[in-house]
Amino acid sequence: MSTHTPQSTSAPQSATGHEPMSVHFSHIHKSYGPTKVLTDLSMDIEAGSMVSLLGPSGCGKTTTLRILAGFEPIDSGDVLVGGRSVMGLPPNKRDMGMVFQSYSLFPNLDVSDNIEYGLRIRRVDRSARQSRTEELLEVCGLAGMGSRYPHQLSGGQQQRVALARALATRPKVLLLDEPLSALDAAVRSTLRDEIRRVQQALGTTTVFITHDQGEALAIADRVAVMNAGGIEQYARPDEIYTRPATPFVARFVGTINEFAVPSDWSFQHPLPVDDHGEDIVFIRPENLSVEPSDEGRLEVKRQTYTGERTMVWLGRPGDDETEWAASLSSADAASIPAGSRVRALVTDEPSMRLSRTEAGGRWT
Amino acid sequence: MTFTSRTDTVTRVLAWLPIVALAIFIVTPQLSSLAYSFFRSDGSFTTSGLTGLADSGAIVAPLTRSLIVAALTVVVLVGSLVPAVVAVHLWAPRLRPVLSILCTLPLVIPAIAIVAGLSAVLRELASQGRGSLGMQISMTLQSQDLPLVLVGTYAVLCLPFTYRSIDAGLSTLPLRTLYESSAVLGASTFTTLRRVVVPNIAGSVMFSAFYTFALSIAEYTVAATLSINMLPVYLNTLSSTNFRGSITLSVLLNLTTWLLLASATVSASRFGRKTSAASRKEGSIR
Repeated sequence: MSTHTPQSTSAPQSATGHEPMSVHFSHIHKSYGPTKVLTDLSMDIEAGSMVSLLGPSGCGKTTTLRILAGFEPIDSGDVLVGGRSVMGLPPNKRDMGMVFQSYSLFPNLDVSDNIEYGLRIRRVDRSARQSRTEELLEVCGLAGMGSRYPHQLSGGQQQRVALARALATRPKVLLLDEPLSALDAAVRSTLRDEIRRVQQALGTTTVFITHDQGEALAIADRVAVMNAGGIEQYARPDEIYTRPATPFVARFVGTINEFAVPSDWSFQHPLPVDDHGEDIVFIRPENLSVEPSDEGRLEVKRQTYTGERTMVWLGRPGDDETEWAASLSSADAASIPAGSRVRALVTDEPSMRLSRTEAGGRWT
Repeated sequence: MTFTSRTDTVTRVLAWLPIVALAIFIVTPQLSSLAYSFFRSDGSFTTSGLTGLADSGAIVAPLTRSLIVAALTVVVLVGSLVPAVVAVHLWAPRLRPVLSILCTLPLVIPAIAIVAGLSAVLRELASQGRGSLGMQISMTLQSQDLPLVLVGTYAVLCLPFTYRSIDAGLSTLPLRTLYESSAVLGASTFTTLRRVVVPNIAGSVMFSAFYTFALSIAEYTVAATLSINMLPVYLNTLSSTNFRGSITLSVLLNLTTWLLLASATVSASRFGRKTSAASRKEGSIR
């Protein structure tokens, strides 16, 4: 596990005129009865940045968010926002904005009233409320929709309203709980980019929960990969992908190949595919190249065409259990149809190198 | 006309038959009462029933009393039932069956049994003697000016239907996420109840209010047994001195109750439609 300490020298001034707030999770322990949900979780979120909590369902990411929002008590530890503990505060005193997977707009209120809701509670006067609402309708791409009701909007539009509503009160932290999971693919990627744009424009510290690794890598300044109630790795998206800290991260984020190699193997050597070596190397598909060879010990099993690139699945002849993936240009892939004998070369240092016991999985 | 279409017509007429029969069964006594109220036996028109009611002035006290009790019952019932059902939905869903059974009990216990138990308690309290606390409580509850005992009893009698209505209304809402969204935005539980929950179950709340008002203004058994002069009790007394007047009053009372119940049904469906359309949409994307 690696944690990051923020360089809290000069936090950027946000466009809203509010100083962005840092968030600090300190040694959080949380269990439901005998089930431990979070074990000694610590994490620093730099003011004004966007952090993704990524992990399979049940890894504790939602619980972490709900602790920050104030909906879940903790067994021990502390949560600081802007350097002050918030654990004594109920959810309605924490000054957060939250967007849920299920939108949860107030069905009895129109779009403008939904956005104004938090301002009304804070007794902001009418003209200030209206100008703030207009501003947010504009920012969130909802201009002209102020008088519609939630049930008249598409899912993507509803989620924009939910985002605008969460931002209206200029929250200290914006919490996004799988906001895109209920949307279809096209809307999902547009809205993802838009959330990022709005977040960067306003400079609001944001925590984004997702189980979709593509989403996490695309949107966040930092990604915390979570598993079984702890953080496996907390780093920039490119570090997560190219230098995974644990086998879990390597296997959860993207596609990765695992080969058993002798301890004196280096990546310029031929790649053994017999599973006998004592070290396990993790290699991304784009770091494998494939060339046709009659003596090759690998066979092309199948290909997955994705446009410019094609994923070529390799295996030992007569063995359908183990497959490796190589990402080739579609032109190269065309020259080695399924059934071709090939050999694989490694073009770069492996992403990770571990002993068999460290690697776990099928190696122990 | 072909054979099939004739069968269709016959089926359609047959389908309407029970409804017409029921309508005749319900409307005939009302029309007869109405006729009796305004026409003498020789067929001449009279308003003596109506004027007789107004003249004596004796109606004012029971009418006011009934209106106040009915209004208070609405406030007490809606004010306690809505938060209670919301609380169970949010924080103790396991208690829902318990609450459901408790609220249905008044349906299977006859009003006369309830009032018998109630009388026993009131008598026991009063028997503690002049000036005792029990006596005071008993007196206050049965006060002719403001018979609080009836407010409590009517609220209980209304529970079976009002609980069902409010419970059903809440079940169509994604209550937990609405509550949490509202809380994150800074709302207290009370504010959430007022600004989000109640407007979204407005149909159920309106139904409960009208239903409770109608039941409270027309209830006879409990009031008569406790000897509190409410409107229906007065109506019964009136029948011995001014029979035409009592029939006129009963027609008016019936009309009022029906109008209230009709409003209850209409408001339930009108308010209900908007919110349930919204929540159906909400439900479909989850």
